[in-house]
Amino acid sequence: MDGSASPFRAPVLALDGPDKVTGAARYTFDVILPGMLHAKVLRSPHPHARVRSIKTSRAEALPGVAAVVTGADAARLPDPYYGVAIRDQPVVAIDKVRYVGDMIAAVAASDEETAYRALSLINVQYEKLQAVTTIDEALAEGAPLLFETPVAGEPVKLGEGLISLKEPRPNVLCEFGYTHSDADAVLAQSDHVFEDRFHFSRINHFHLEPHVNIARVTGEQIELWSCNQDPFVLRSDIARIFGRPANNIRVHASYVGGGFGGKSFCKMEPLVVLLAMKAGRPVRLCLSLDESLLTLTKHAGKLVLKTGVTKDGRLTARKSEIQLDGGAYSDASALTVVKAGYRITGPYSWDAIATRAYAVRTNTVPAGSFRGFGGTQASFASESQIDMIARRLGIDPYDFRRRNLLGLGEPFRPGDSGIDSDLEGGLDEVVKRLGYRQRVRSSAQGVKARGMGLGIGIKDGGGTGNHAQALVKLLPSGRAIVSAAAVEIGQGATTTLSRIAAETLNLPLDWVRYGAIDTDSTPLDNGTHASCGTVVTGIAVMRAATDTREQVLAFAAERLGCKADELTLDNWTVRRGNYVHPLEPMIAEHFGGAGFEFIGRGMVKVPNDPKAPLTAAALFWMPSWIGAEVEVDRETGKVQVLHLVVGADSGRSVNALACRGQIEGAALQAFGQSLFEELRYNGGEPANATPLTYRVPLAGDLPERYESFVLEQGGPGPFGTKGIGESGMLGVAAAIANAIEDAVGVRVTQIPFSPERVLAAIEAAR
Amino acid sequence: MTDTVEIAVTINGRGHRLVVSPRRVLADVLREDLQLLGCKIGCDQAVCGACTVLVDDVPVTACTTFAFELDGKAVTTIEGLAEGGRLDPVQRAFLEHGAFQCGFCTPGMILSVKALLARHPEPDEALIRQWLNANICRCTGYQMIVEAVRAAARTSAS
Repeated sequence: MDGSASPFRAPVLALDGPDKVTGAARYTFDVILPGMLHAKVLRSPHPHARVRSIKTSRAEALPGVAAVVTGADAARLPDPYYGVAIRDQPVVAIDKVRYVGDMIAAVAASDEETAYRALSLINVQYEKLQAVTTIDEALAEGAPLLFETPVAGEPVKLGEGLISLKEPRPNVLCEFGYTHSDADAVLAQSDHVFEDRFHFSRINHFHLEPHVNIARVTGEQIELWSCNQDPFVLRSDIARIFGRPANNIRVHASYVGGGFGGKSFCKMEPLVVLLAMKAGRPVRLCLSLDESLLTLTKHAGKLVLKTGVTKDGRLTARKSEIQLDGGAYSDASALTVVKAGYRITGPYSWDAIATRAYAVRTNTVPAGSFRGFGGTQASFASESQIDMIARRLGIDPYDFRRRNLLGLGEPFRPGDSGIDSDLEGGLDEVVKRLGYRQRVRSSAQGVKARGMGLGIGIKDGGGTGNHAQALVKLLPSGRAIVSAAAVEIGQGATTTLSRIAAETLNLPLDWVRYGAIDTDSTPLDNGTHASCGTVVTGIAVMRAATDTREQVLAFAAERLGCKADELTLDNWTVRRGNYVHPLEPMIAEHFGGAGFEFIGRGMVKVPNDPKAPLTAAALFWMPSWIGAEVEVDRETGKVQVLHLVVGADSGRSVNALACRGQIEGAALQAFGQSLFEELRYNGGEPANATPLTYRVPLAGDLPERYESFVLEQGGPGPFGTKGIGESGMLGVAAAIANAIEDAVGVRVTQIPFSPERVLAAIEAAR
Repeated sequence: MTDTVEIAVTINGRGHRLVVSPRRVLADVLREDLQLLGCKIGCDQAVCGACTVLVDDVPVTACTTFAFELDGKAVTTIEGLAEGGRLDPVQRAFLEHGAFQCGFCTPGMILSVKALLARHPEPDEALIRQWLNANICRCTGYQMIVEAVRAAARTSAS
């Protein structure tokens, strides 16, 4: 299980590396079509308003303007709304605007400058409405409604006994409920019950390649070059919105310049298609980074946890109420709420659980997918409270965790799959690297105090009941093309999936190329989500490669007059005993002409299971183990992270450099959110939605010591792999909060842990 | 504003005479006129550093540098680093140390590092981190980039 026998010990260089270090890599950002127009979007300056009128004639008359699109155009579409499960977001605002930045009109023109000028000539008359910009405002009695009537869509499908509701109450988008046993009764019998509340902040993905799409409409065919992480999901949405059969929709994906969830699911793509239809020419819409900041965020939220424990430190029951700020539109909130609610138990053993989680509509930027998908919110609250309880009981937080952790094979929740990582082993590795056992208590008097904190994150990996398909084409020369729709967004899908095929076919890695993604020819994939690429798409690729290998061996056996099982494939030769037969001449001799391609198919569907809480057992579990040492300045409240240790389980690393990069990259995003990064609001106005004022971590922000480790404990993917892309995001914020309490004895329950907030906590305790 | 300016500029070692509007920025000239698409535009306001190129060996953000400012100067873009298909030591170090993920910041990042190593052939950790503050990378967590810079410094020194 330690991976020492792995064929993948030697680090492999990324196949997309040479393109990326020489500037040759082409992104959707770089796509240029002949006759292409450029689009810009007019956005609402109001958080909530009814659209009285839009006058576009002056903009349309401006030389160079080819098309102006407004809600009137959108309203004529067969189905102008999108969103995951619940569809409430119009292609462009139809009757109301619901947040500052909401798309109200768009222009396609000969160049961006003309498009910008045309926007200034559009006259919109608004009737301002009262806005709700926080969860509390939205839930207040008599609060103004974002939607006056029910919207399209269905609640997320869940297993038996769980609750999944669409729009259950005013300004509530959806609700999730999970219970196991009688939490109230168990809490009543517990020696201690602690109730704590936590506040989670709103952050933006800040992918450096902005959202960019180019649409071309030719007759019945709609073609999109999109930075979207989910080409096939997008194809379905475009087909539904425009009422066209999906085989007339063609989506091309290129390298994506960062996503982290920000480019998942449908967003402005149908608007670009609508512009291209109206203009009769290809249209490119490249948002500015300012606009990307107004397109999607991670869910802010409030989490209240009521947790029971016995006097000797055994967890008994937890009741949770999780409110996530979904912003103005559904996007992926319905799924995020489910995952946040489900993951709130953390990796611990419980007698009873009762969880309610819901997304609240507010007049702010829509919230949706963000690396970890509800798991970061849950792990911050859960791992903070675990630590708080341990300290209240006078038990070392490490020992308290160990006492309650789920063991190998124990189901995460009844009906779900068993834990497949050694949770304790990972924690021990953090403890060792951090020097947790040797930590010295800071004096209660000095200005600066040091402390250490731990955290464990866990999430289900690979999506729920996920599926993928793949093709592997072997050319007459033995060179191969892997065709699958896991989009290369920097996670290393290109290299990992190519390597899975290369190992299966016994070919050199550089003989394999990851093919261009085009929904016309690439097999379907459910999207680049949920750390599923290596395992789910990976299994499909391995099966496709195996199918190809069997075809080659059957062909060779026929040519050689033997049985296929007497043959092995090795570097594009077949071996039979001591004889080696090169395949290229064999193929040339038999087929002649341009030769022959062996094309293998592979697919995977994670089984549905009505007894599993989320309708399918988790394919694998993604733990993270975090340790932080901090120094807190009691006079200023400034927190300095001196040492951050982050570990995760890759199952087995097919692409070791990429695994490390995923963990460290994810953890630094969480680190930034813990200490300073936040998209703030002043009432209904975003306060810092510009690249200059929205601060993301820089190299200079790195913890003094920053180290990561990867355990290889096996997994269900090819060669024992697991997904690892999101793990590092979990548990970081809690570990830092726990270290702060260890240092100065005060608890901060709201991120970011800004100097003001920490100082306020220190002063309140004096 | 229909006036144009004629400039003489060396780009990746080759002389160009360009006629540009005084409002055009270097990033647009590189990308649109010369097809040097390795120059990426992220924030378009000199914050993220993705569009960094070298002008007379000084890193500048091409998104906020006017083209007319380049008269008589020499520009190096990411396309100008590898010679005859041979990667520059900084490019090689980035490749070998996995110092990139999505790659969108990478051209600008590599050019910043080129400028750093030209001035400080043996930078310490603090200087590397400080220098890299000019370039945002949202993917890697920076540590692997720092290691690549150290490796490139060693290669260049030996």
